[in-house]
Amino acid sequence: MYKKILAAVNEHLNSEISARYALNLANACGAKLYICFIAEKGMSVSSLEKAEDAVKRLFIDAEKMGIAVEGITETGKPVEEINKIARHEGIDIAFASTRREDVERRFYTGTVARNLSLKLSCSVALVRVVHMGRIHPKDILIPLKARIASMQERAYFTAKMAGCFGSKVFVFHATTPITKFFHGEMHLTPAQWEKRLPEDISEFIEHMKRYKVEIEGRLSPGAAAKSITVEAASRRHDLIIMGASERSMLSSILRGNPVEEVLRETPCDLIILKPRHEV
Amino acid sequence: MKINNLTKEEVFKNLVTSESGLSGEEAKKRLSEFGHNEIKEAKKTPLSVRFLKQFTHFLAILLWIGAGLAVLSEYLHPGEGMLTLGLAIIGVIFINAIFTFIQEYRAEKSIEKLKLLLPFYVKVIRGGKQTEIPAREAVPGDVIILSEGDKVPADSRLIETAYLMVNNAPLTGESEPVPLQQEPYSGELIESKNIAFAGTTVVSGSGKAVVFATGMRTEFGRIAHLTSAVETGLSPLQKEIVKATRIIAFLATLIGVVFFSIGNIIGKSFWENFVFAIGVIVALVPEGMLPTVTLALSMGSQRMAKKKALMKTLTSVETLGSVTVICTDKTGTLTQNRMEVEETWTPDYNQNSADLLMNTAYLCNNAKFIEGQYKGDPTETALFKHARENIGDLKAERISEIPFDSERKRMTTINMVDGKRLGFTKGALENVLPLCAYALINNEKTLINGKLKEEITHAYHSLMDKGLRVLSFAYSELSTPDSEPEKDMIFLGLVGLEDPPRPEVPDAIKKCHEAGIKIIMITGDGSRTAVAIAKEIGLAKGNPVAIEGHDFMKMGDRELREKLSEKEIIFARMTPKHKMRVVSILKEEGERVAVTGDGVNDAPALKKADIGIAMGITGTDVAKETADMILLDDNFATIVNAVEEGRAIYENIRKFVIYFFTSNVAELVPYIIYVLFRVPLPLTIMQILAVDLGTDLLPGLALGAEKPTKDVMKQKPRTPKDRLLNAKVLSLAFLFLGPIEAAAGLFGFFYILKQAGWQWGEMLAANNLLYMQATTACLTGIVIAQVANVFACRSFRESVFSIGFFSNRLIFAGIAFEIALQIFIVYHPWGNAIFATSPIAAQMWLVLIPFAVFLFAAEETRKFIVSHKR
Repeated sequence: MYKKILAAVNEHLNSEISARYALNLANACGAKLYICFIAEKGMSVSSLEKAEDAVKRLFIDAEKMGIAVEGITETGKPVEEINKIARHEGIDIAFASTRREDVERRFYTGTVARNLSLKLSCSVALVRVVHMGRIHPKDILIPLKARIASMQERAYFTAKMAGCFGSKVFVFHATTPITKFFHGEMHLTPAQWEKRLPEDISEFIEHMKRYKVEIEGRLSPGAAAKSITVEAASRRHDLIIMGASERSMLSSILRGNPVEEVLRETPCDLIILKPRHEV
Repeated sequence: MKINNLTKEEVFKNLVTSESGLSGEEAKKRLSEFGHNEIKEAKKTPLSVRFLKQFTHFLAILLWIGAGLAVLSEYLHPGEGMLTLGLAIIGVIFINAIFTFIQEYRAEKSIEKLKLLLPFYVKVIRGGKQTEIPAREAVPGDVIILSEGDKVPADSRLIETAYLMVNNAPLTGESEPVPLQQEPYSGELIESKNIAFAGTTVVSGSGKAVVFATGMRTEFGRIAHLTSAVETGLSPLQKEIVKATRIIAFLATLIGVVFFSIGNIIGKSFWENFVFAIGVIVALVPEGMLPTVTLALSMGSQRMAKKKALMKTLTSVETLGSVTVICTDKTGTLTQNRMEVEETWTPDYNQNSADLLMNTAYLCNNAKFIEGQYKGDPTETALFKHARENIGDLKAERISEIPFDSERKRMTTINMVDGKRLGFTKGALENVLPLCAYALINNEKTLINGKLKEEITHAYHSLMDKGLRVLSFAYSELSTPDSEPEKDMIFLGLVGLEDPPRPEVPDAIKKCHEAGIKIIMITGDGSRTAVAIAKEIGLAKGNPVAIEGHDFMKMGDRELREKLSEKEIIFARMTPKHKMRVVSILKEEGERVAVTGDGVNDAPALKKADIGIAMGITGTDVAKETADMILLDDNFATIVNAVEEGRAIYENIRKFVIYFFTSNVAELVPYIIYVLFRVPLPLTIMQILAVDLGTDLLPGLALGAEKPTKDVMKQKPRTPKDRLLNAKVLSLAFLFLGPIEAAAGLFGFFYILKQAGWQWGEMLAANNLLYMQATTACLTGIVIAQVANVFACRSFRESVFSIGFFSNRLIFAGIAFEIALQIFIVYHPWGNAIFATSPIAAQMWLVLIPFAVFLFAAEETRKFIVSHKR
């Protein structure tokens, strides 16, 4: 599915760390890696140098791993330029890092990360780097909704990420608590929750098993964002991979936006995947 | 692969830094990307929103509707006093909101206490130069310098060390210093010896490290995140109140709709139906219940404080009574934390060997005897005291020491004794015996063979099976200063120490077993010692499941869930970080869990549990701030006493719920009579409020102070299915006590009317003197019956005379207040003005008293029949 992977790098350290995820994925998929740096107007010399150094380091690592790699440096507006490159090269998935200032904006509107996610014709993996001690994630948390869009690509991406690091995958579904008028919230044991596992999640687990990925799953009632971060913190997960938000601006204002909340509070690195492949 | 697995060069490469640190510009960039190195509280619902929520729950909505209808009636029929009523109902909503908010309110200070464990400044290398910066500005990639006394500002990978020892107590709970080194470590990051974690303190030595995680992403931040983000949800009592309010709302709507329709069919005017609708709402809602619950919980928490259990939230008072599992620490809670040497063992049972064993116990020891007192760690003090009492004081120069640490599980000192250089070691047998090539038998070095090893191991197990903590001792003769002290050692023997159980613990455990509460012991001791102690104190009767920390780590949730369902289970060699998992699984299985803890890293488990119990004497500020309850004496028996009090409070809440509902029925029936028959309204809405928020309050509160009944700790914990407002409670109030009380009120009403020659169907104006006297008699009838009812509600099954008629003095104070308030309402002009009452003759009270006597006698008869049926 992923034959050409693009990693966008800039002068910030987190972009280099994000690119390392792309590097490992390229290795697992046998894909060609494009390391691209877009120099914006007015960029300082030192920033240019830092970005170029990052590209060089990644290049060396890719070559050491035997990955086909190409470096692309352009000037202009990052979103537009990356979009051009992606179309021109036929990129399957692009990796970019989210910046802290993006996360602090409501619904990260108008940010490079958001625009890449919206405008690129290929799949996009937005990476939020927060912890630099867990270099190869051993335990990956996959929060899933009851209905999973682009199931096959999400399963493929997860399986390949788990495969390249030899990780165990934990599927987690924060479900709405069951309530009855006279009883209030009902308590269900994990065994009882298991019987209510949504079909899509069962299917996702089956996909993982087919990819021979070690997997565990569980449901827990509660607010999605808080449950995800508490789950990740309490079980010391190394990486969270979740789907991009499908909520509209209005819906986000009214009901909140779990993806945005997890982006802010994540205790470990986070990848938000916007899949665009139909299999 | 984690950062602890890497070499120094790989660390620099991965974090894109170098020995000379980051440049100022790069550090600034990273600060903008990774944020400040600080502990933050998870986003929570603001206090104002939490307060506003008290105005939107079911009961409040019902009352808002009542108030709205009253205001609308004022608009439709001005001058009927409905505006006053509307305002009074809004007042009730506010009173309920304030009292419920007080119940739920809790000042969260645990994060503030956690912040105090981080340093304000840190020494870093920036651009090749050492400088001091505010700790909150440390970023990943910074090279920091650690020296004695420093607090570690962020999770950092060591790249240089010189005898570096840190105290990891905030993370592990272990107060013993841990030596750190810079070599790559292949194990888990959290257990790695080349990582200095944020919040820990450098005890000695120095080092250099590269920061790799800051702020909330450090291990310390993880504890803060879990402590602040984990939510326990509503307490059992809060859930019950929600259910009760929904039942009340349903009943009010049902009765309202049914009788409103009947009223319409039989031709009642819209206005009459309107008054009825408001009346039903006000009559059925127990306006005084929530304030009384809050006050009863508050009184309960004061009683618990007298028993050395300090409650931090009011709802926890009752939650404690509903716990099904108590996860408790051993040392200091079940035991006295006062070590004593109980037994010694040498392979040859020879006095000389025993003396040499004592010499080792004396010299390989950091306890001191100063000004007539032993000072030091409890285990070391016990050994030192025993040795000193047996062999007297020794003089030997200590040359060096390899301190105890949790990984090596041993301590070694090198001393000069009579001109000879000797190495002395003490520690766990599994860590000392492999160092020994010989054993001292009959004053001779004897090679340790398989048989001897077996004999030593057998003795070790025998001591452990007696519940003793066992240490083994060995020494070595060092020919040169370079000789390795821990090589080819000579095994001396074993010492078994006992931490005696607290004398009151066996009884407390027996009480728990009778009360159907499971106790899970979580200890750092080995499983044999833990099982032996569990048997000694009655915690285990058969062969309990004993799980050690390393097995626990390997277990999946499913397996652990199965183990936890066993009747008797003990966790041995555990650290506090495992507690949260145990608590989470128990809670997922529907248990109501109380857990004890004292360390910083106990905080997430304390928060997660239904009741987190912090130790008052040994507990850290963080644990105390996180917990729901503080044990002022660290004693397990105090928990059990508090559970008993909690159960009594729930029973008492149920008692005053019956008490309130009985009067609600008596208030409702006059409205049904009013709708169904052509009679004046026997009780006004303001008079209903006079009962619910006036005369009923103090007697109801006095019911909240009833002492626990004898069998309160002989019943199984109540299940979530057992409702506060169950069919028994409702039928007792609605079908038995309530109708008797309603009869009292209606009798008073019609008695006055009939005495004055009133004819059936004759309607009277609201300001008619006869009508006002009649409603006053109805109100007085209800109040007099409530005096008897308060005695009736003191127990569910036992006669009031068997529990002691005068055993609750507050009841009499409550009744005195109730009668005084009723006299004020009936005879004082202000009371008359507010509640539209008019004085009635004193004989009228005498006419109504037989109803109270009848109610009391009927309830005593019911109890007699029920108790004899059982």
